[in-house]
Amino acid sequence: MSNVLRPYLAAVRSTLTAALTLENFSSQVVERHNKPEIEAGGSREVLLNPLVISRNENERVLIEPSVNSIRLSIKIKQADEIERILCHKFTRFMMQRAESFIVLRRKPVQGYDISFLITNTHSETMLKHKIVDFIIQFMEEVDKEISEMKLSLNARARIVAESYLTAFNA
Amino acid sequence: MAPEIYNLAQSPVSSHAFSPDHSQVAVSLNTNDVQIFSKQGTEWVSTDTLSEHDKLITSIDWASSSNRIVTASQDRNAYVWQQTADADGKIVWKPTLVLLRINRAATHVRWSPKEDKFAVASGARAIAVCSFDPENNWWVSKLLKKPIRSTVLAIDWHPNNVLLAAGSADMKARVLSAYIKEVDERPSPTIWGSKLPFNTICGEFTSPSGGWVHTVGFSPSGDALAFASHDSSVSIVYPGSPVINIKLPTLPFVTLTWTTENSLVAAGHDCQPVVFSGAQDGWQVVGSLDDTSAAKSPVGSKSGYGGSPTVGRLNAGAFATFRDADSRGQSSIAGSGSGDTKLLTVHQNTITSVRPYEIHGGQVTKVSTSGVDGNLVIWNTDEVMTSGIASLTSRLGSSQIR
Amino acid sequence: MDVNFRKIDIDVYDEDILHETELYDSDPRDPSQVLSDARQKQVAVRTALARSDIVGALSSILDSPPYGPGVDEAKDLTLQTLLTILNTTKAAEIPGVVKALSQDEQDTLMKYLYKGMAMPGWGDISGSVLLGWHEKLTEIAGTGCIVRVMTDRRLV
Repeated sequence: MSNVLRPYLAAVRSTLTAALTLENFSSQVVERHNKPEIEAGGSREVLLNPLVISRNENERVLIEPSVNSIRLSIKIKQADEIERILCHKFTRFMMQRAESFIVLRRKPVQGYDISFLITNTHSETMLKHKIVDFIIQFMEEVDKEISEMKLSLNARARIVAESYLTAFNA
Repeated sequence: MAPEIYNLAQSPVSSHAFSPDHSQVAVSLNTNDVQIFSKQGTEWVSTDTLSEHDKLITSIDWASSSNRIVTASQDRNAYVWQQTADADGKIVWKPTLVLLRINRAATHVRWSPKEDKFAVASGARAIAVCSFDPENNWWVSKLLKKPIRSTVLAIDWHPNNVLLAAGSADMKARVLSAYIKEVDERPSPTIWGSKLPFNTICGEFTSPSGGWVHTVGFSPSGDALAFASHDSSVSIVYPGSPVINIKLPTLPFVTLTWTTENSLVAAGHDCQPVVFSGAQDGWQVVGSLDDTSAAKSPVGSKSGYGGSPTVGRLNAGAFATFRDADSRGQSSIAGSGSGDTKLLTVHQNTITSVRPYEIHGGQVTKVSTSGVDGNLVIWNTDEVMTSGIASLTSRLGSSQIR
Repeated sequence: MDVNFRKIDIDVYDEDILHETELYDSDPRDPSQVLSDARQKQVAVRTALARSDIVGALSSILDSPPYGPGVDEAKDLTLQTLLTILNTTKAAEIPGVVKALSQDEQDTLMKYLYKGMAMPGWGDISGSVLLGWHEKLTEIAGTGCIVRVMTDRRLV
């Protein structure tokens, strides 16, 4: 299964690079406003076709591009109930601190676990290939983090149960 | 001769325009003001600031014979600046009001070849063609609205001072007539059409895969029109023949300029200017003006922290790795690696504007480019690297994947 | 008096808005012809695969694909046929096959790859197959191909 990871991340990387062709675009609908068109969604011609890259049924990435912003949503692999809870708590933790993340969105898109909103101001102030590197690294790390948390959770649960039940053994 | 690189600021350069003698350049550094830089020695020093706009200045154009600057901004206004002597005798730039009558942002502005009119593209789905009204000392506009359905992203004038090419976000590039009775004399017929009252559509073109038309340009004689659209393609139109469309494997271009009747330079999200050449029977890519093959710093060698990169610069690779690990807590084990931040091209981010810089005998020999990385670079159009345009992304991408 | 005036969607009546259909040239063939074309191609592809002519099969299926509204059955049929071709190609042959396609066919192939990945039912599609093709196609056609998939309104 891990041999699919490399082409999966390569596909996400190339699609993201192709989508990060952003430019400053003032709103056509409201004068003197400059909003991320993917969020405002006022004019149909300014939005591009959304693309999905999926590794299997449970892991996919949705990229919705537009002229001055893109929205990237990730569905993280959650195999069992524990992972579902851990993923939910982990993403909630990050989304509550979305300000310091800069590119994170406070609510995920329907059907996904976490969403990023990258606008033309971000691509102007930050290097585009580094933003792409960041997202790819994030995707790799999130899976590792959740597995680690699950392991430590199980280990801790075992220790707690052991120490509690030894009291009844003696 | 290598390209001359000037780093004007750390912020993006939204637009630039050189003065007629190239000693000054008017730039907008992603702000509401125009900064005029003067060349002192080998550096550009900011000598003047023109502030009048309330929002981001999207486009600047400097008229070469009448020495006037026109600026357009997202605050729905445009101003024409002229150098006059003020009370103390100092030469200052004074703005003149322009009545644009648009109700959305202005995106692009260009003086006509005779410099008696200028055209402003806007998000109000219209183009304002402005001419001077001497009675009230202001510029008045006539709006070109009819077929345009979305924001106009770029415009270019035909050499006959009447025809205007417009690229817009509704995926079409159009040639329109901007004939103003009071200012223009009747133009002679061109291959685009004859008898052209105001707002006649002489042609509407699109690229097969669609995509917003980021930039348009008439050839020096006006007989051909080139446009680059967001589907990573460049199209050249000779009226009467089908549209010649070149699809590219690279990221889209956002700006282009013709250098001769048979060649043009385009630049965009790939951060390097690319030269195309051809004639009515076909066009092809010639190469890039940027030399991306030479590794200027140890970027290509991804041998990690154990490898030995180029000599000199204190063993930059190894030194940088440990310095970063120590001072910034970054280690190249965990991910991207520290040597990879600089791109191989001269520009580190999208090029937003390419303009002709020097013209010898009707051919553009030098072009100037400015980009989102704050650099202003002057290129020699003869030095074309035909070693193939290696897409930056593929190179970076392949070096990233472990 | 119609008291429901507050619930009227005024954007529908706005003449200035660009509709999706105005953004591209619609398919000149009518729906039934599109469907019969798709069925013919399926037959042609089966014969080509029997001869192990992968490039020929791909070229015929990728040439003038059904797009736009109203031709859903033809679209599904074309997708299924294409996926069978992709599944039967060996990994080592993929670069050769892709290089033999024209630029338009490469763009159309990329569109179908993304469409395949977006589909929720994973019966006969394998993620690794689609991703493997995607990687090879990007190497050869470049990111420009992906940009064209994003901008092209002719959705397959």
